[in-house]
Amino acid sequence: MSGAIEFVRASRWYGPVIALNDVTVTVGPGVTGLLGPNGAGKSTFLKLAAGQLAPSQGEVRLLGKPAWGSPEIFHRAGLCPEADAFWDNLSGFEFLMALLRLTGYGEAECRQRTEAALEQVDLMAARHRRVGGYSKGMRQRVKLAQALAHDPEVLLLDEPLSGMDPVNRRRIVDLVKRLAKAGRTVLVSSHILHEVEAMTRRVLLINNGRILAEGDVREIRDLMDQHPHTVSVRARDPRAIARAVVDHDHVLSLSFGAEGSWLTVQTARPDEFYGALLEIAESAGLEEMFAPDEDLGSVFHYLVPR
Amino acid sequence: MPIYDQGYRRYEARGPLRTLRFWPITREALRLVLSRRAFLGLLAVGWLPFVVRVIQIYIVTRFPEAGRVLPVDGRLFGEYLNTQIGLALFLTIFGGAGLIANDLRTGAILVYLSRPLTRRDYVLGKLSVLLALNASVTLVPALLLYGIGLALAPEQYMTWSLWWIGPAIVLHATLICVSISLLSLAVSSLTKSARIAGLGFFGLFVGLEMARGVLRNIFDVRGATLLSIQADLRGIGSALFGVTPSRFDLVDWPAAALVLLLVAAGCLLLLRSRVRAVEIVR
Repeated sequence: MSGAIEFVRASRWYGPVIALNDVTVTVGPGVTGLLGPNGAGKSTFLKLAAGQLAPSQGEVRLLGKPAWGSPEIFHRAGLCPEADAFWDNLSGFEFLMALLRLTGYGEAECRQRTEAALEQVDLMAARHRRVGGYSKGMRQRVKLAQALAHDPEVLLLDEPLSGMDPVNRRRIVDLVKRLAKAGRTVLVSSHILHEVEAMTRRVLLINNGRILAEGDVREIRDLMDQHPHTVSVRARDPRAIARAVVDHDHVLSLSFGAEGSWLTVQTARPDEFYGALLEIAESAGLEEMFAPDEDLGSVFHYLVPR
Repeated sequence: MPIYDQGYRRYEARGPLRTLRFWPITREALRLVLSRRAFLGLLAVGWLPFVVRVIQIYIVTRFPEAGRVLPVDGRLFGEYLNTQIGLALFLTIFGGAGLIANDLRTGAILVYLSRPLTRRDYVLGKLSVLLALNASVTLVPALLLYGIGLALAPEQYMTWSLWWIGPAIVLHATLICVSISLLSLAVSSLTKSARIAGLGFFGLFVGLEMARGVLRNIFDVRGATLLSIQADLRGIGSALFGVTPSRFDLVDWPAAALVLLLVAAGCLLLLRSRVRAVEIVR
């Protein structure tokens, strides 16, 4: 069965710069995460899928038709672009109404769909405010609302959670999951692994314009786990943490930060390390923790052979 | 692993509009333009010459001897439309300079073109805004004026010798509207700033008119009149309505028509290359 989005040996270049290189991939129903560091080609991939760019070579099909030059399929697809794309002087309500009119609905239906879409993204209270006065998160949500309002089968979301607060992030993640469960094809691009992980386990990894890997996000985790994993912790007594974990054979190295409150640990088995950390967290006064390896750049550092 | 339902389900999304797909774009833009009081004021000023011409027709119908000084034949309509070119220019700057430039600045062109619209629909939608605005100070008042002439002096206008005035008004006004609108839209697509687009359009019109004036009046270069789009439009209008142009406005109308045709073709080519959802920087 063919997918809603199909790339067949598709390439796109801008002058001498290759943004997407010989990509063959099929995206079917459900949520698919398009993961890649900045500049990997994610936006070009989405713009090709949305018919906003013509492939320089190869073929890109959306819902069985060439994505480029088939505007009639856009009533079945919704695009949430990464950059702001609206008229600042319109209210959120007017913005959605104007776009629904372009999709071919009558006034009454435009109104009903606009309200439903704004409700979904929790913008009903701010619907009559000018989009120009919206916060970054609200702008992001109104962009998402316009992509959803005409009930499309395919949703292309470019960094949809960017700038959102945790509450709305949760709400949008749930919404995306619901849409996918209803049978829609949702392609979400992001450069943050845990954002995508919250929505789906199916990912496409893209780097330097090429699809690097495709499959379950846990496989990436497994790959990551085969490599040293770095965790930095800030605590009242970082040396107590160091003493507690130094005997574990999965701990490969320990180093203290200049300020004395930071401890950086390299571990071969992060799950075991987090278990050990949990036991000592309270007595050592654990204040902050982050894993630089969560950054997708590090994942690609592991995955890309050099 | 999540198992997604692969079965058929009926989506409620509509098919695209089959006809007039550009109309929602025109409607929205007209609504925004007409909500500006300054613009409505300008539109009102654009109708003042109409009032003057109505008074002229009325006076001549009451005092026929005045017709020797103020003729109400085809020349009245030619002169009227030639006067309106300047007003159409200002109306276009205020109403149309940002039509594409603002969409490029805000990125809204991407959401337009992610709807069931072609680039042609988009351009047609924007062009219709300018055509409507320009027609409101050229075609509409000129036809109304003709109607008033017919009503006030039917014996004069309903003769075979003046039957051509109606079609000539439509032809000349259409030429003015299309030329000005296309040029304005093409200039608007060149920048992301409505202000720069407006200044650029004004500069193009006025600059070329000044260049024509200098070359024709000082250096007596005859072909220089063709340089100015306003002069070309005036020249064609004068030829159509039998208006005697001044020596410096004298222009060969077929050559003027060819210039306008080339300008229109250039504008369409420019719009074709500039109206894109994604800006490609090389």
